[in-house]
Amino acid sequence: MTLFNLGAREAGHYAEPVTLADLVEQGEARSVVLESGDEVAALKPYLNRLELVVLRFPIFRDGRGFTQARELREYLHFGGEIRVEGHVLPDQADFLKRCGVDSVVLPEGSDVRPWERQLKRYSVSFQRSVLPEKVLDVGTRVAR
Amino acid sequence: MTTAIGQYQYDQVDRDFLAARIEEFSEQVARRLDGALTEDEFKPLRLMNGLYLQLHAYMLRVAVPYGTLNAAQVRAFADVARRYDRGYGHFTTRQNIQFNWIRLEDTPDILRLLADVDMHALQTSGNCIRNVTSDEFAGAAADELVDPRVHAEILRQWSTLHPEFTFLPRKFKIAISGSPNDRVAARFHDIGVIARPGDDGRVVFQIFVGGGLGRTPIVGQELYDSVPEERLLATLEAIIRVYNAHGRRDNIYKARIKILVQALGVAAYRNEVEAELAQMDIARYRLSPEMVASIEARFAAPDLQAPEGAAAVLAEQRAQNMVFDRWVRSNTHAHRSEGHIIAVVSLKPPGEIPGDVTADQLDRLAGLSERFAYGELRTTHLQNVVFGHVRQDQLYDLWRGLVDVGLGAPNVGLIGDIVACPGLDYCALANARSIPIAQKLGARFADMTLQEQIGALQINISGCINACGHHHAGHIGLLGVDKRGEEFFQMTLGGRADDQATVGKILGPALPEDDTVDAIARIVDRYLQERSGQESFLETLKRVGEAPFKEAAYDTV
Amino acid sequence: MKRAVRVGAGEGLVITANRLLDGAIVWLSADHTWQTAIQRAEVLVSDAVSERLEGVQSRAQADGVVGIYEIAVRPEVGGPVPLTMRERIRAFGPTVHPQFAYEQQEGAGA
Ligand code: HEM
Ligand code: SF4
Repeated sequence: MTLFNLGAREAGHYAEPVTLADLVEQGEARSVVLESGDEVAALKPYLNRLELVVLRFPIFRDGRGFTQARELREYLHFGGEIRVEGHVLPDQADFLKRCGVDSVVLPEGSDVRPWERQLKRYSVSFQRSVLPEKVLDVGTRVAR
Repeated sequence: MTTAIGQYQYDQVDRDFLAARIEEFSEQVARRLDGALTEDEFKPLRLMNGLYLQLHAYMLRVAVPYGTLNAAQVRAFADVARRYDRGYGHFTTRQNIQFNWIRLEDTPDILRLLADVDMHALQTSGNCIRNVTSDEFAGAAADELVDPRVHAEILRQWSTLHPEFTFLPRKFKIAISGSPNDRVAARFHDIGVIARPGDDGRVVFQIFVGGGLGRTPIVGQELYDSVPEERLLATLEAIIRVYNAHGRRDNIYKARIKILVQALGVAAYRNEVEAELAQMDIARYRLSPEMVASIEARFAAPDLQAPEGAAAVLAEQRAQNMVFDRWVRSNTHAHRSEGHIIAVVSLKPPGEIPGDVTADQLDRLAGLSERFAYGELRTTHLQNVVFGHVRQDQLYDLWRGLVDVGLGAPNVGLIGDIVACPGLDYCALANARSIPIAQKLGARFADMTLQEQIGALQINISGCINACGHHHAGHIGLLGVDKRGEEFFQMTLGGRADDQATVGKILGPALPEDDTVDAIARIVDRYLQERSGQESFLETLKRVGEAPFKEAAYDTV
Repeated sequence: MKRAVRVGAGEGLVITANRLLDGAIVWLSADHTWQTAIQRAEVLVSDAVSERLEGVQSRAQADGVVGIYEIAVRPEVGGPVPLTMRERIRAFGPTVHPQFAYEQQEGAGA
């Protein structure tokens, strides 16, 4: 597999992530993998120990992961790494990044150029995100 | 280029953004062609650019934000129709325009041509927040409390490439109006917003949620009575976040927000929204007066100057020309400013395809808008177009120009003003053809005197249960069904989309096309017998119930 | 659309798709190429269809077609005529714009 970094944070090395059910059982794991139907709020008791949250996309059209990532950053103030695995497209790179995702797991040998291009594509966005973006002077615009 | 009047004026940042978006789409097309993207992956991506694959070709749906166009944009549509389509455009019930004969390989060029006049096809399809619709009389109607276009534009921008809400369970439609007379079908939208002035002079918003048509027609319910302007975006984000997290994804027919609202109940949905708001970093979502002002500053207001006595000129011309007078009675609406009037152009000439315009007609409409309407044209959710600000003393000349291009039908709001989806002639999902039956009905009731005598009667036709023709909201609704390979039509009565929104009730068994046309003729006859005084069809239906109409419909001697 | 296509006596099946580049409707001919005129379509018996479908599915990307499926037709002198209104509209053009009908293009290659 290939790890692609969406932002400045370098993907770290962690023990194999456990499922949410296992986390609840054991409690001491430092990395967890959430399915798209899992509630992010369930991570609250374990936050100070967690270093990595992996969000699994069963298919790229299932957009629940975007909300999960945003809730992790905005509601739980999670400062560790958020990683996405499963079926995602390079066309979603910027969306993932702006929702607070740091890295993406790609199949071995994937072409990362479309991912890189997508991250550089826009110099403006039209709504605030969880990133520290500069607010511009017109409407809801922010600089990238 | 003419100055846009009721429309946000782009700057270089907006233009650069559109250019980058088109570049993105061109690359997606290239990746599809070389096989890097499968059709299943490409489809949602092209849909977010308004590109469908229909029966005969691709169909491109171009966004008309809050239904407002300038003359240059209308000419660009004519250009697309001529160069890349077969000479036609088709206005839809969501104020957009569709081109039915498009090639995938031409699409990036078409998008560039449109971008030259600040137009795009963004988010006119796909499971994202769709083009925001608004009142076709915005900024002009005498009954308006708040001009909704500034906030419609804010919503358009805020929803553009929204990082969190671009892969929702299903499409998401928002409409906004600033008049108590709902002309946007707010209660049949995923979110309907009605703006009005608040106590402190800032705007407040009444918010309806969970309305929709389709397989499960539901009238939206009020979620909030008055959301302050500063909290508008926060509230919408919270509503949609709840939906994105909990809306069903296992069954596309149960994936709309209306199903979730029904499942939870509106009170529980409100609790969920409140729980989100309580955790959200509200400052980040604040819509400040400065932000609103910066958008408002990009709109130009027309300098409405009508000469003294404009109204008298119009009265005189009406007195002299009965045909013109009839058109004024049906196709105009009161304007807020003295000496002005709103003119509605019917795109339903008897026997023609509802909503269709030729490239030549588009060019002429553009020219007329420049001469008579400050270079502005609006589209309506009933597939017509509107000149928002017309001087009363010039209305006659405008009308003459319209008659000249075959667009003088005096039938707005009458039985000939039929709404119909593309149906089986174009649409890959259809059960039956919607257009031929619309044409037959149009021809059957072509007599304008009869139409006027019948009065307000809205017929809506959909070719399948997706309800693009809003059949549930028609006073008489027709739904195409397939009965062993034959096209049949199921009739509903009593639907309406206004502030008393109601889902029409099924009258009885579906009928074949010609029998349906006859049945409607008998229903109309029966109404004319039953009505007392100046009662409208809906009023008579309410008073006498559906029994007499059912009897008339199925009375095949 | 995913219902098994039923074929009566004297009826057959043809395979159809849309071309990726321009969306045009195409029909599978006897020489396994995609043609824009239904008159050139090969009429198959039920048994032959699934194997043929598998073959063209696997070549869809190379052939530049999408949405491959089979439809029932009645063979007639002028060529196969689809049994359903939907497929007749696909084969012969929209009923509401006679000028867009496909018959004139008979024989046009893919
Ligand atoms: C020809 C290609 C079209 C296709 C494939 C198509 C497809 C669909 C589908 C699948 C739905 C149902 C979505 C759902 O309930 O989740 C829908 C709804 C709708 N369509 Fe279309 N449509 C087409 C054209 C049009 C046109 C031409 C109009 C306008 C005249 C239109 C207006 C609408 C509207 C307003 C709805 C919303 C109904 C509701 O509130 O549920 N569509 N469309
Ligand atoms: S109602 Fe059905 S037939 Fe009509 S356009 Fe929508 S999907 Fe097609």
